[in-house]
Order: sequence, then C-alpha cells, then structure tokens
Amino acid sequence: MPGIDESLLEAMRLPGARGAWLVDWISGLALGAVGEAPGGDAETTAAETAELARHAAESGALAPGGGDGAVGSEPPVEDLIVTTGDSYHLIRFVSTPFDSTVFLHLWLDRGEGNLALARIRLGETAARLVLG
Amino acid sequence: MTAVRDTTSASLDALAAEAATGALTGERGVFYLAAGRVVHVESAHTPGLGVLLTRGGALAEDGWWEAVDRDGARHRVGRRLVDSGRVAAGALEVCHLGALFDAAYFALAHDPRAHRFRPGAAHWLGALRPVPVATVLRESRRRRDLLHEIWPDPLVDVAPLARVPGARATALPARRARVLDRVDGVRTAADIAEDLAFRTYHTLVELRRLAADGLVTTAPRVPARPGPAAPDPCGTAWDDPDAALLRRLRDALEAL
Repeated sequence: MPGIDESLLEAMRLPGARGAWLVDWISGLALGAVGEAPGGDAETTAAETAELARHAAESGALAPGGGDGAVGSEPPVEDLIVTTGDSYHLIRFVSTPFDSTVFLHLWLDRGEGNLALARIRLGETAARLVLG
Repeated sequence: MTAVRDTTSASLDALAAEAATGALTGERGVFYLAAGRVVHVESAHTPGLGVLLTRGGALAEDGWWEAVDRDGARHRVGRRLVDSGRVAAGALEVCHLGALFDAAYFALAHDPRAHRFRPGAAHWLGALRPVPVATVLRESRRRRDLLHEIWPDPLVDVAPLARVPGARATALPARRARVLDRVDGVRTAADIAEDLAFRTYHTLVELRRLAADGLVTTAPRVPARPGPAAPDPCGTAWDDPDAALLRRLRDALEAL
C-alpha cells in the first residue's frame, strides 16, 4: 500500500511531470514534496496553491446542487486545472474518512504533459493514497 | 541535561542537534523524538490520532484498541494498523501528520518552558513519518501568523464563544457551518474540535474567519451560579465569625 512519498513518486512517473506535493488547504502545509518547485521554494508554492484550493473548496457557487455540500463529500470540488504559458498545474482534492483537508498538486510541463491522462491517473493516486 | 532548562523550542533545537531519542515534556504537550526528529506530539488541547480515526469512521474503535493492546508496548501500533489492513498506509500518514502538527502548534504556543526530557522514551504509535524539528518550529510560527492575518484576536482561541446576536450567516462552506453550529456561549474552540473530531488548529481557523465575518464573538463572562458551592463574596462576609468580630471591634473603637 502506498504512503505519501510513494504516491507522489507515482505521480512523478507521468510524462512531463516536474514536481508533486501533498498539501493541506487550510494550513498551507506541504505534507510531502518531490521534484522541482516553481520559483524554487516548495513551502511558498504550497501556501499559495493552498489559498487557491481553499477558495475553490469553499465556493458555494461551484458546488454541485448549489452549495449545501453533503457531509462526507467534502470538499464538493474534485479538481482544479491551471494552465500557464509553459505548464499545467493539476490540483486534486483527496477525500478522507477523517479530518484532513488535503490535495495533491502535480506540476506538468505543457509541451510534454498529457493533461487528460494526468487527470485520470492523479484521481486514481488520490484514491489509493487513502484506501490502499 | 542543559536542554530542559530552556523554552520548549530551544530544547527541541538542542535535542535535534544531539540527534537525541526520547520524550520532551513541556507545560502544554509532549514531543517524542527519534534520532533528533519529531515522531509524534501530544497535547491536551487537540484530539489524538485515535479520536480522529475512530470518530471520523476510518476505523472501528475495537480495531484501534486491539492494535494499541497488542502492539503498544512494542511501539508498533501504526505498523499493526497498516499490516492488518485496517487503515491504508497513506491515510495513516496523513492523519498522523495532521495530529502531529496540530498538537505541536498548541505545545509551542507562547513557547513555554520544557519540564523534563526522558531519554530513550518512545511513543506507542511507533515512527511513521519523522519530521525535522526545524520544520515543526517553522510551521508553528507560520500557523500563528496565519491566524493573526485572518482576525487578530487570540481570545477567540481560548474563550467560550457565542454567536453575535442578530447576525445572519448566509452560504457558509459546509465545514465552517458545522463549526458555527456548535458555538453556544459555553464551548471553547477545543471543545468544538473535540466534538467534531476536527483538528483544533483547523477549527481555530474557521472560528477566526467567523469572528472576522462578525458571526462569532467571545462569550460574555458567565456570572457565578448562586448556591452553596459559590458563595457571594459580599453577602456572606458579614456572617463570617471573623468579620463579625471585626465589626464589634470597630463599633467598640468608635464608642471610645
């Protein structure tokens, strides 16, 4: 069964992967990090992406059914995709049967990465991290 | 050992430099170290790993206690939970780190003095994912700053909390709404965290956001309840034999 590091290394095997993190979207703490960090500082990256993820997770407007996310399906958002000139940033929320508020963040090179594949694989990695 | 005469953070720095193994007890929590790295932290202000796992439904309480009974003395409870298939390795690491940093935040708040270090003492959980001391200290400072940025009133963290009368909450995120539901004029942040099996720091974040939104405030001081256990300091003073004696003495002096 994969732990945090194995899950991040699994994500790094995707084509074009440059860095991967597991981050708490309320505190901004990186629970694990592998590969490069944009700007060179994994902690700053984690804190900034956590703020972005938090706004998405807490958004009533984006939630299915208009806002009252049922308990147990927190957060109501599954993933976020941010595209820049040279990169994709894929943020996948991890649902756990205990209080955790974490997401996987995968940084992909835009030229080499396959966004559709990465999105499917990262979802599988998120599920295995929690369920084994 | 010089380490225990210092504050908790200075003691941890010194123990990390020595690559020490053992348990450092401070006023507000216990840090377990292995080879100078933090393997677990416990604080009375935060729910432990067992509460987080069993109350959330990740693990049946029987399974938790069986693992503690069978492997607690050998400091292998974490490994037992994973090997027996009760909890996924990743889930246990995530929950464990959540509890560790949560307890560390409260154990380091106001950086109290460390009381004692027990060399060689190990935690029954075992080492799951040791964290450098520097990371724990840096994260606790960052968390304090984050709370201050949201709403700079530290009383929200420790006082009984009440809803602001007349304030209406609209479209709160599910998590924040659950925290607000528990604000009743009596419970503190730690009570609410325990009730919800939420990490306490993460509950503080929600409560400070609710305070910033004008929905939650510190509860007014509760007046002392009448009854024999809580005597009125003014009313009963005159029935006190010493007070009566003093009064007679005063009257006698005035009569002179």
